[in-house]
Amino acid sequence: MRPLLWISSLAAVAIGLVITGLPAEAHHNSAPFYDDTKSVEAVGVVSRFVFRNPHSFIFIDGENEAGEVVEWEVELGAAVTMSRRGWTPETIRASDPIRAVGQPSRAPGTFGICCAELTRPDGSPIQP
Amino acid sequence: MDSRVFFRRLAFLSVVSAVLMVSVVGSPVRVSAQTDTGDIPDLVGIWDGSPRSRPINGPTMPWTSDNFPVLNERALAFQAVFDEAIAGKYDCVPAASPALQYDPYFLEVVQWPDRVLFRYEKDDQLRTVWLDGREPFPNEYTLQGFSVGGYEGNELIVETTRFVFDIAGFDDYNGIPSSQLKKVTERYWRDGEELRMTLTLEDPLFLREPASYTTRWLPAPEGYKLNPYECDAEEARRSVRYMIPKYR
Repeated sequence: MRPLLWISSLAAVAIGLVITGLPAEAHHNSAPFYDDTKSVEAVGVVSRFVFRNPHSFIFIDGENEAGEVVEWEVELGAAVTMSRRGWTPETIRASDPIRAVGQPSRAPGTFGICCAELTRPDGSPIQP
Repeated sequence: MDSRVFFRRLAFLSVVSAVLMVSVVGSPVRVSAQTDTGDIPDLVGIWDGSPRSRPINGPTMPWTSDNFPVLNERALAFQAVFDEAIAGKYDCVPAASPALQYDPYFLEVVQWPDRVLFRYEKDDQLRTVWLDGREPFPNEYTLQGFSVGGYEGNELIVETTRFVFDIAGFDDYNGIPSSQLKKVTERYWRDGEELRMTLTLEDPLFLREPASYTTRWLPAPEGYKLNPYECDAEEARRSVRYMIPKYR
């Protein structure tokens, strides 16, 4: 990857951080995995919150665009970074209602989301 | 004690000291370890390497179009066939120099008389910089290499060699490998409250000429302690499924 693209990728991560307030410092570039020209929304309930390194994930049971129930996988930052901002494994719990809007994963048949804005279904922000 | 015995012992100690000094100067360590602790820069502490210290497009970001390494044909060929899915980070293989230093995480520095310890929160990595002139074993090649160093003026100078071949040994983003001939030289100094470093990278198997960057760390919040990283290999590889594969 050329440096300018690398820098623009970092800029995209920074913009994501500003938008979501989430710890979006990734240890890798998200462009190979997610399409930053598209946006996808996942609404449902949390099945599990994996607070780990190198990346945390929120798993959401919700519908895809075809109306089928799928498990969305929302990628977050590293637990060590999130914990410095007050996040803990208990910040989000199973069965919590949640809405995630972000970039969809590229591979067909996968339901990853990156750089997501996380809110409650009523629009209130999710914060530690 | 008899004064003649005293002066004989003094003379003996002087000779021993001189021999030790000659052996240090004649060792492969290219920088001299100082024994006068008053001259040694105080690098001890926990340091914040997050984007707070290195704002996007700021002067402390490592690589820009101005200093990006000039790749040779071999490096360009490797880069062209590189497949992101093969990168070791997706199996929790830690980053190595020169990327480890600018990963956006925290760093702890400990200075002992015979060594300096760099403990990285990212991937729980520990690098030992030997100040006592020791040499590596003949077959001692590792991911983080073998580091020797010493103090010059108000700087700590570290030279690291003996790296293993690393398919993503340049950094996490560019698909550029590094070879067993990689050599990394770091110069650390204090600038007020900041820890600063200039890193110079050489790798004649992949780079046409040395490349350098300068970056910094800010003091960590008061009382902060590094957390265990304990990389989870399952989660590390999860996002690889989201890519459209380059090879099948």
